[in-house]
Amino acid sequence: MPKPTIDLLQGTLDLLVLKTLSWGPAHGYAVARWIQQLTGEVLQVGEGSLYPALHRLEERGWVESEWRLSEHNRRAKFYRLTTEGRRQLRVETATWERFVAAVADVLRVTEQPA
Amino acid sequence: MTDRAAWRRYLRFLRPDVRADVDDELRFHLESAARDLVAEGLSADEARREAARRFGDVTSVQEACVTIDERRQRRDERAEWFTDLRLDARLALRTLRRSPAFTAMAATCIVLGVGTTTTIFSAVHAILIRPLPYPDADRLAVVYSAIPRKGIHGVNVSWPDYLSWRDQNRTFAALGLYTWGSHTISGEGEAERVESALVTANLFPLLGVRPLLGRGFTPAEETPGNDRVILLSHGLWQRRFAGARDVVGRAIRVSGEPYTVVGVMPPAFNFPDRGQAWVPFAPEEWMRTRGNRGLAGAIGRLKPGVTLEAARADLAVISRRLQREYPQDNFEWEAEALPLRDDLVGDLRRPLLVFQGAVALVLLIACANVANLMLARAAGREREVAVRVALGAGRRRIVRQMLTESLVLALGGGALGALLAFAGVRLLRLLFPDDVPFYIALGVDGTALAFAAGVTTLTGLLSGVTPALRAARVAPGGALREGSRGEAGGGRRASRLRSALVVAEIALSLVLLVGASLLVRSYRALSGTELGFDPRGVLTARVSLPGATYDRPEQRRTFYQALYARLAALPGVERVGSAQGIPFSGWDVQALFSIEGRPAPPQGQELDVHYQRVSPDYLAAIGVPIVRGRGFTEADRDTSVHIGIINEEFARREFAGEDPVGKRLKFGDVDSKDPWITIVGVARTFRHYQLPRPMGPAIYFPQLASPERSQTLVIRTTVADPGALAGALRDALHGLDPDVPAYAVQSLDEAVGRSLWRQRLQGEVLGAFAALALLLAAVGIYGVLSYSVAQRTRELGVRMALGATVPRVLAMVLAQGARLAAAGVALGLAASLVATRALEGLLYGVTAADPLTFVAVPLALAAVALLATLIPAQRATRVDPAVALRAD
Repeated sequence: MPKPTIDLLQGTLDLLVLKTLSWGPAHGYAVARWIQQLTGEVLQVGEGSLYPALHRLEERGWVESEWRLSEHNRRAKFYRLTTEGRRQLRVETATWERFVAAVADVLRVTEQPA
Repeated sequence: MTDRAAWRRYLRFLRPDVRADVDDELRFHLESAARDLVAEGLSADEARREAARRFGDVTSVQEACVTIDERRQRRDERAEWFTDLRLDARLALRTLRRSPAFTAMAATCIVLGVGTTTTIFSAVHAILIRPLPYPDADRLAVVYSAIPRKGIHGVNVSWPDYLSWRDQNRTFAALGLYTWGSHTISGEGEAERVESALVTANLFPLLGVRPLLGRGFTPAEETPGNDRVILLSHGLWQRRFAGARDVVGRAIRVSGEPYTVVGVMPPAFNFPDRGQAWVPFAPEEWMRTRGNRGLAGAIGRLKPGVTLEAARADLAVISRRLQREYPQDNFEWEAEALPLRDDLVGDLRRPLLVFQGAVALVLLIACANVANLMLARAAGREREVAVRVALGAGRRRIVRQMLTESLVLALGGGALGALLAFAGVRLLRLLFPDDVPFYIALGVDGTALAFAAGVTTLTGLLSGVTPALRAARVAPGGALREGSRGEAGGGRRASRLRSALVVAEIALSLVLLVGASLLVRSYRALSGTELGFDPRGVLTARVSLPGATYDRPEQRRTFYQALYARLAALPGVERVGSAQGIPFSGWDVQALFSIEGRPAPPQGQELDVHYQRVSPDYLAAIGVPIVRGRGFTEADRDTSVHIGIINEEFARREFAGEDPVGKRLKFGDVDSKDPWITIVGVARTFRHYQLPRPMGPAIYFPQLASPERSQTLVIRTTVADPGALAGALRDALHGLDPDVPAYAVQSLDEAVGRSLWRQRLQGEVLGAFAALALLLAAVGIYGVLSYSVAQRTRELGVRMALGATVPRVLAMVLAQGARLAAAGVALGLAASLVATRALEGLLYGVTAADPLTFVAVPLALAAVALLATLIPAQRATRVDPAVALRAD
């Protein structure tokens, strides 16, 4: 199965991270696990690339972080969505849906337009 | 939430370690993944390897995260810095508003300090620093004749010397010549007299100034007959010719002769000082004598890479050659070269530097005052600072907050100070003569405002740093534990510091007062000089008859006779006379004379005599009596070239013990072809030259047979303001010949007063600064003692309760003030003795160690200081023991 292009991956990854964090605060490993579980084997992403995405989102102010104890009583960095991040998630979801719909429309067409 | 807030605060003070955090985060991921894999049945090793494989390149992820986090951290810190600044500024404004008396006093000090400093800087910048309006002006030099051995400097050059220098030098790219003049422009409207200059063709090109319209002069126009061409200034062109572009080539009447306009110079060019028109330098026959110096000034442009030193050496070689070739005319004469700016600025450099030094002192005193006020207030705020320290504010944070406060204060004061500078420069302009040369533009420009901003910042830091550092040293425990009235946190040290500042203020003001006193006394001495003539009620005016219509002596005689008659008939006019140059006008012509029957004096010791041709009534009109012999009369017309009146100085030097009347003398050597002149009278010596130059021997000749074309009228009146007659004078002239304008119309009083403008400026400016310094120092002393009395209320109350009398308490506080004043005066006297050396050369009639100044000024200062302590001292005596003791 061919890999999607990086550009596509970047924006998509951000969107997926925002989405997973919309359920509540989570550390990076949990986010990685969720994305893996939910997408099955479709997105073959190195788990590492998740972290620059998280830090970038934090830099933009869409998520914020704090150190807390994990479920196994270990120090872990937890991320949570900010209000700004929630708004961003809505915008990007809408954009994604329009994009998918447009691409799907094109792919459904059977005849070359005049 | 609470622990998040605590975490935040922790982050704020301890910079988080970005890299360690990223490491921790990634390790947590890898370990969690491995643990889950072990739970799925992998061995520990396999699990670790699989986790790492799934993660990808750890190092590059790490680097990416660190880069992002560091970027974010920098941004946050910057934002925090600005937030703090805003908070500090807002806090500062609130604190300043809460103590309006302190704020007003401190701000006033800063306004005055910044205002005066910026005013003087504007002048210094305009006159000493701003480049002259010529390209590469630092390559321009003036060349004079000089005999250094005799202290003769800055003498103009003769035409033949100029030619020798011009043609034989190897160091100047070009050497030009000019002389001041004035011309009457007539036709096409009212005749007017304009200042002008005669210039060699190479002069404007070497200055680097090109005509705006038309062309400059050509060397061919430097010969008489070809020189009837004129260049107009931009101002004259606009004013008189309405900026018509076809003015080039037009024929106009200049001093009665037809001239052709060849060009117009660019705006704001009025070489040499206020020139409005220029004609070629075409030397007439009489100018071609080598010994005839005093004619014209030379300006040269150095060749690229040549230093002024090299040019001097070059000119020295030529001068020595000329001394050998012309032992008569060039005996001991040398050439001296100096930078053009030094020549233009001349006498102003030293006073300006003195002013700059003086304002620096004023500023220092202002800073000391502000620092003092802040220290006094900081002592009262130690509890506030202690609370903030206890709450976790770092030292740096406290220092920053205090500095922000003094900077906010300085900024407000500095802005007002810059406004004050605009007013100050206007005032300064009034003190300058109204005819400032064109290259001096007095005004507050961008550079001056930048300077004001710099001075403001400096003031804020200088006055704030000591209080800030002291505040940061506050020990939180101590200040909080002690009672609210306690001598909190090392009050003794703080008060010592404040006392030291006041002593410094008094010392600095004393330096200024001494300087001002010396300059004011110099001005007084100068303006009180016995002039020997009576300038009150005398109107003067220059007239100049065009050569074309007044070529013959009879024509001029007729004109002046008619003019004198008309003027004498005006109401209030007592006497009318004229001379080539009136006192204080700068007219300075001397010649060598020989007295009959005396051996020729050795070379270098000849009799140099000031001479001029005057109308018969001139001496009477300026109020100079004849003390021996007789004055001139109309009857002297036929013998007028054979008689003269000398001054008493001449008689004293050359005819001691003899009667000079009847003695004969002549121009030049005894055996020259000039006729013998018989002395018919002796006039009282009067000050003809600008003070402080003394008057030497002088001789006056009657101009009866052949009056001069250009001369100055003197009209003695009985009216208080002779200027009121200026209109009548112009009408009289216009009635006789509309082509002859009157110019430089002023009262003799004005002319004398104006000649002392520099001395007056020095006295007034330094006097103003000294007064300011005195005021500031008085405020300083008052502030310190008031504070000290307020702090000692309890102690004073105890003393009074124990029976101290009012005089005793008064004496105690006064003694404290007196100690400060005495220390300041002692220090100031020592400093003054050194500082007044800067004034040498500006003083006249007093020495730099003038005893009167050095006694009276310290006494006056001490008196003011004591006066300033009187109010707090009196307040101390009113302390009510009961209230003071109950205060805690």
